[in-house]
Amino acid sequence: MIMIKMKKLHIILLLALMPFVAVSQEDDIKWYLSLPEIPIYAERPIKEIGVQQTKFDSIVLCENIALSVADVLTFNSSIFVKNYGRATLSTVAFRGTSASHTQVSWNGMKINSPMLGMTDFSMIPSYFIDDAVLLHGTSSVNETGGGLGGSVRLSTKPAKNDGLGLQYIQGIGSFKTFDEFLRLTYGNDHWQTSTRVVYSSSPNDFEYRNHDKKENIYDEDMNIIGQYYPIERNRSGAFKDFHFLQEAYYDTKKGDRFGFNAWYINSNRELAMLTVDYGDETEFENRQKENTFRSVMSWDHLKENWKMGAKAGYIHTKMNYDYKRDLGNGVMAHMIQSRSKINTFYGNIEGEYYIGKKWLFTASVNAHQHFVESRDKSIIQQDGNQATVGYRKGRVELTNSVSAKWRPIDRLGMSVVVREELVGTEWSPVIPAFFIDGVISKRGDVVAKASVSRNYRFPTLNDLYFMPGGNPDLKKESGWTYDAGFSFAVGKEGLYSLSGSANWFESYIHDWIIWLPTTKGFFSPDNIKDVHAYGIELKGDLDVALSKDWNLSLDGTLSWTPSINEGEPRSPADQSVGKQLPYVPEVSSSVTGRLSWKTWSFLYKWCYYSERFTMSSNDVTLTGKLPEYFMSNIALEKTMSYKWADISIKGAVNNLFNEEYLSVLSRPMPGINFEVFLGITPKFRN
Amino acid sequence: MIKSLKLKVERLKSLSKILLPLVFCLLSLLSCMEWDYGLEEEFNTSTSGDGLFICNEGNFQYGNATLSYYNPETKVVENEVFYRANAMKLGDVAQSMIIRDGIGWVVVNNSHVVFAIDINTFKEVGRITNFTSPRYMHFISDEKAYVTQIWDNRIFIVNPKRYEITGYIDIPDMTMESGSTEQMVQYGKYVYVNCWSYQNRILKIDTETDEVVDELVVGIQPTSLVMDCNNKLWTVTDGGYEGSPYGHEAPSLYRIDAETFTIEKQFEFKFGDAPSEVQLNGTKDKIYWINDDIWEMDVTADRVPVRPFLPYDGTIYYGLTVCPRTGDVYIADAIDYVQQGMVYRYSKDRMLLDEFYVGIIPGAFCWK
Repeated sequence: MIMIKMKKLHIILLLALMPFVAVSQEDDIKWYLSLPEIPIYAERPIKEIGVQQTKFDSIVLCENIALSVADVLTFNSSIFVKNYGRATLSTVAFRGTSASHTQVSWNGMKINSPMLGMTDFSMIPSYFIDDAVLLHGTSSVNETGGGLGGSVRLSTKPAKNDGLGLQYIQGIGSFKTFDEFLRLTYGNDHWQTSTRVVYSSSPNDFEYRNHDKKENIYDEDMNIIGQYYPIERNRSGAFKDFHFLQEAYYDTKKGDRFGFNAWYINSNRELAMLTVDYGDETEFENRQKENTFRSVMSWDHLKENWKMGAKAGYIHTKMNYDYKRDLGNGVMAHMIQSRSKINTFYGNIEGEYYIGKKWLFTASVNAHQHFVESRDKSIIQQDGNQATVGYRKGRVELTNSVSAKWRPIDRLGMSVVVREELVGTEWSPVIPAFFIDGVISKRGDVVAKASVSRNYRFPTLNDLYFMPGGNPDLKKESGWTYDAGFSFAVGKEGLYSLSGSANWFESYIHDWIIWLPTTKGFFSPDNIKDVHAYGIELKGDLDVALSKDWNLSLDGTLSWTPSINEGEPRSPADQSVGKQLPYVPEVSSSVTGRLSWKTWSFLYKWCYYSERFTMSSNDVTLTGKLPEYFMSNIALEKTMSYKWADISIKGAVNNLFNEEYLSVLSRPMPGINFEVFLGITPKFRN
Repeated sequence: MIKSLKLKVERLKSLSKILLPLVFCLLSLLSCMEWDYGLEEEFNTSTSGDGLFICNEGNFQYGNATLSYYNPETKVVENEVFYRANAMKLGDVAQSMIIRDGIGWVVVNNSHVVFAIDINTFKEVGRITNFTSPRYMHFISDEKAYVTQIWDNRIFIVNPKRYEITGYIDIPDMTMESGSTEQMVQYGKYVYVNCWSYQNRILKIDTETDEVVDELVVGIQPTSLVMDCNNKLWTVTDGGYEGSPYGHEAPSLYRIDAETFTIEKQFEFKFGDAPSEVQLNGTKDKIYWINDDIWEMDVTADRVPVRPFLPYDGTIYYGLTVCPRTGDVYIADAIDYVQQGMVYRYSKDRMLLDEFYVGIIPGAFCWK
């Protein structure tokens, strides 16, 4: 029997808040004034009236080269990242919704898979992202439709270098993990170019105690005379990921800016065996290969009171999945040979027009044209000929929006967004969103915000056409979301800044699409559920200049997000109505602390997820238990500056307390592991 | 000098007010989770007479298959008996189970394993590993059994005494990718196997030579196979699905003479129906199946009854069995496939006798 002893959660949360309390009581401390860069009162841009967002700064994104955006989200936001293993599929549950309810864009172009609807965040190295913003719930309507949970906006931006720049970082870690990062930049008054390369590889064969199985010891007559829980290695989990990002920006300095971004991914990942798999790893091969190319060209024309921009982009993805086994003669025969190709063409035109400081009008048109080919299985037909099971479809996705933002007085702002989407041949009803914010107190910069929006999400191409099981009769999901909250920011210039926010949300989603088994042995999607997701999101950020050389920052999030099935019972025996959705934690929290002294910096990251139910009835069984867990990572970095180069050495410890934990049933996770990074940034005479 | 020292002490004091809470905070995080596992429960059902095992498939790739045990006399169900008796998981997708000489053989499809358990204590007594994707097991003798597979064009031959794979039966005109062999019944020295996924055949295997000696073409995707009291094989096809390159047709129920290996009778259903789970009663003179409703028919009948044995009740029935001794009909309801399923027990007179929750996706039954 498995029992989990969780201790002192409430005490931990209380203690986590103690530094905040301590600081607020220390108004008269005579610290050195050494942090002029600490911002205290942020201006509220008219574009962001009523918007609930979480921004990730470059310190978080560039913490180390081994991190993916999935890792960044895990430790720095209230989003639950469903992690199928190390360097394996990582999807998100934003405000208790499913992975396909979070819309993700890269430089304005949507990168959710048109086949699956979701985004694998483990495939996005955080070092490739210069600017990341989470738009919570209604706020996503400012950018796109379909984000019933919210959206993630990922962008790159010019390095603003003058002359030649080079940075190389080498990481060596546990399980023979090698991470390499190279960035070459060049810039002058008009041009900024950047080339980034990341290569990560590992056999990923970490050891773990397998609680789910026992090994038998037999006597000569094959009677079991002993059993034990084996210490196993993660089997078939190797990965080799290569990323290449080329950027070029040109600024005419006369109001026109041009940009070009091209990102190539070559990923070769084995899919790790389950903890309950008794197959011989040498006789099976379970591998996913991905080749993806994404590119965006952009033009922005900026004038004093208006702005216009256009973008064009292209995505090509080729995904191969092979499941093979050795027939006993060394020949690996295919059991599954799945191939998919996606070509997406993207176009965008948008404009902004300011009337004084009180009015802003925006309009945008976004178009994505997808061409998808999916081949899942090769079969012999009844007449003896070969045939392929799959589908080939194209679909256009058009999303248009106009907005009017009004700030009649400094303390009050209102915004209306109206969006409409065309997916395939079907128009969505009008998607309206309304935002309002107001300064309640200038002292403390206390701002109250509220918003409401309607939203729709159309079925994905697999939902509609996958062979077998696709359901072309699916309806689009629809929902209403309400947000309200407040934020504050206090501090003393150069001493400290403390900001925080509290936000309440309610979201009702109808016709939620779920894939269920059929009597014919395959899965098929249907509009099954009505879901009521609601909750509270808390955020706090503290930056303190402790002394001339000491700086401290603490960022924390805490969210409580019940996500309740409010659909009709599927049968009289259905116990799922009124219960939390499976695999969505009710409570999640993260804390990141940074302490720096001169050229040293220490980083502590912590996250917590409450128990996730694996059944819609919320029954907890011995077999289906996913206990709550804490995760702690630390890193220590030393930077050295020489005439010829800057050098940095960093040591990182992940899973500091060697937790035995699971994010998803039967998917092993690594215990304590280490990585050392050596970085060099030569100084060129520019 | 003293002034400078005082200043430093003051600064240190100020610093400590920030750092101490932080240190406490970090120390408190040291309290982490501890797994406590390894407790094995003792069962003894040897005196209980009848007993019904229910294989709960669990969700594919989640390793949450379970085994339930129901005592029809006391109407008590014990869930997760494999885990509770052995302190380990059953695995990923519990497909089927058979019993021979007091040993239950549980086929766990995506764990590539067949577990052997004592049917009274539920303790593991052995296991056969490294199958491709096992589906069903059939005993030829104490030392020889067949295990059918999906995604493989071979049937595995095993030695249950030694828990080892001893050979293979190659299936003609079948590739690995669309390989599918399913349920087995035996008539004399021949074993008959239905081939389901993207297939349309019943195979005839000589158990002395372990070779396919004949095959019979039926409709698209025969899902199950039983043999009645008159040595007639019964199979039901699901007809494929819309858009399938293998074809989509009205499904049928077939009666096949085992001796001549020819189709005697074909009962055609409506296009779009999805019949499955052909089962027999204890005397093997009635067959049952699921086609939205639960249907019952004499094995000598010339046409399908007009009215079902039990009408559709707003849910998709997933599994079916008939008690060989009492004739009670047990129907599994997987509900939404991510919660504990329900098993309904009806008398042969259609009276609801009991209902009980089991595990996720109850798909297969096995009588003790």
